[in-house]
Order: sequence, then C-alpha cells, then structure tokens
Amino acid sequence: MVKGDRAVARAFSETGTGLIKVVAAAVIALCAGMVSDAAAQAFGQTRSQEGRDQGQYIPTIWVDPDGCEHWVMDDGAEGYMTPHVNRKGIPICRRGNLCGVMNSDQFFATDSFRIHTAGQQRLAEFFANSTAQSFIITGHTDSRASDAYNLRLSWNRASAVAKIAQANGARIADIRGYGERLPVAANSSAAGMAKNRRVEIICIQ
Amino acid sequence: MTHLRTLAGLATALGLAACGDGYPPDKTIDRGIDSKDLSTLQAGIWVDPNGCDHWIIDDGVEGYLSARLDPYGKPVCSGVAEPTRTVGDFKRGSRIFDPN
Repeated sequence: MVKGDRAVARAFSETGTGLIKVVAAAVIALCAGMVSDAAAQAFGQTRSQEGRDQGQYIPTIWVDPDGCEHWVMDDGAEGYMTPHVNRKGIPICRRGNLCGVMNSDQFFATDSFRIHTAGQQRLAEFFANSTAQSFIITGHTDSRASDAYNLRLSWNRASAVAKIAQANGARIADIRGYGERLPVAANSSAAGMAKNRRVEIICIQ
Repeated sequence: MTHLRTLAGLATALGLAACGDGYPPDKTIDRGIDSKDLSTLQAGIWVDPNGCDHWIIDDGVEGYLSARLDPYGKPVCSGVAEPTRTVGDFKRGSRIFDPN
C-alpha cells in the first residue's frame, strides 16, 4: 500500500470501525493496481477499456453438436461467440463428424476412379442406412506421381463415391480432392502410403 | 451500527464506481436471473444468404452466432434449410421471456 492510500485508510478509521478501514483499504489497493496496469498498456486504450474489466475478455469453451469448440463470452447484456480454430484455421474438435474412411485399395484399382461392383454395393448400403442430413466427400492419395495428377485422381474418386450417394437419395454438400496434401501417415513406408490412399465421408447430421 | 454499515456499503460502492463499471474480465458465465455456465448453451442452425450453416443461440438477453465448420475448417453448407431460415429449438436454453 502506498502512503496516500494509508492516509485515506486512516481517515476512514477515525469513524471508529475496523470494517470500514479494511473495506476502504482493499478497494483503494484494487484501484491502484488497476490504474498502474492500465497505464502500462496505454496503446489503443479507449473508453471501452475503462470498465471494471479494463477491456480484458476471458472466454470459456462451448462445444457444438458436431463436437467442435467455440470461444464464448457473456458481457452482461451481450453474448459473443467465434469458432476455436488453430493458427492454420483448422477447428478444434473433441470428436469429429467423420463417419467413414474408405481404404481406396478396397474400392479402386491403381490409378483408376471406377468403383467395382462389390464396392458399389457396400457404399449403396452405407448411404441408404445413414441418417445424416448431407455428406462431404474428400479424396486423398499417397505421394507417388505428381501433385497435379493426385489432385485430379482424388477428386475423381471422391466424385465417384458421391455419385453412388446421390443415386441412393443422399444429399452431397461438397466434393473435394486434396491429393497428397493432407496425409494421415508418413509416405516413407508401404503401410503409410496405403493409409493415405483414402476417401473420407463426413456426415452432417 | 446501522449507519456505519451503510457507510461501509457506500464506501465500497464509491470505490468500485471509481475504478470502472461492468463485469470483471471473467466472461465465462451468464450472471443474473438465468445464470448458468456458458458451456450449457443450446444451439440451432441459421443458414446464411450463401446457404452455409451457423450455430445460433438465443439465450434470453444474449444472442450468439458462430460458424459451423467441417474438420478441414471449411464452412458447412448442408442445405438443411433455405438461406436466412433457421432449424432447431435455439431459444430453449433460457426462461427469460423474449418475444423474438
């Protein structure tokens, strides 16, 4: 506590109660601390930083029905919310809405985007039985062949899956080909490459 | 003693007013009549004019809106409703009367 504060505290104590002294001293100490903090961060300070919160908004996390996190704040009469994403813009999700990963080797021949009959049947069953509102289909490859070729092949494979979905009454929200750009395993081994050759189905409930 | 207590209250009120109004930096809870932790909010979907989904929450006095994103960080445009329409019971989280 600084000298001035003590003088004010003493003035209060003359009224004869320890309670007032304690309360007053606490309030003054609190204010003094706030003022020095505010002075230290003078840049960009406006009336909006002069409230009790000094412009500091500490959020909590709200998890949406898909399982993904959002920053949320309640400032009395106002509410604020924004998605919790990492620095690359990828959402932080506790559980995803990824509902199927197709191993490409089980559905396509090398370099082909034609789905064989057994595969078509499996997919038709999957889409017919799903309760999802719509689907996002994304294709992925390993790192062999050129980036451009892989972008095209992965899109063609995703598109082939989407066609079967639509033929079975499913709504397709988006079809994407990410090529070799979003691997889930290292491409240094045969097993890793096999894992990367995939078509992902996202179910929007 | 009563007037001393009043004085103490007054001192506190004046002291707090002197260092700013409003709530402290902790914005993680809804204070007041329908108080709750914000993690319990109940959302619906609002479809923007481009046809993409957002989580919408009407929590009494406060309103919240946040983009629905897929695992790749892209907007989810599910087609669940026409643009500008809502689905889901997004006003059920609060008991406060609100005609809109």
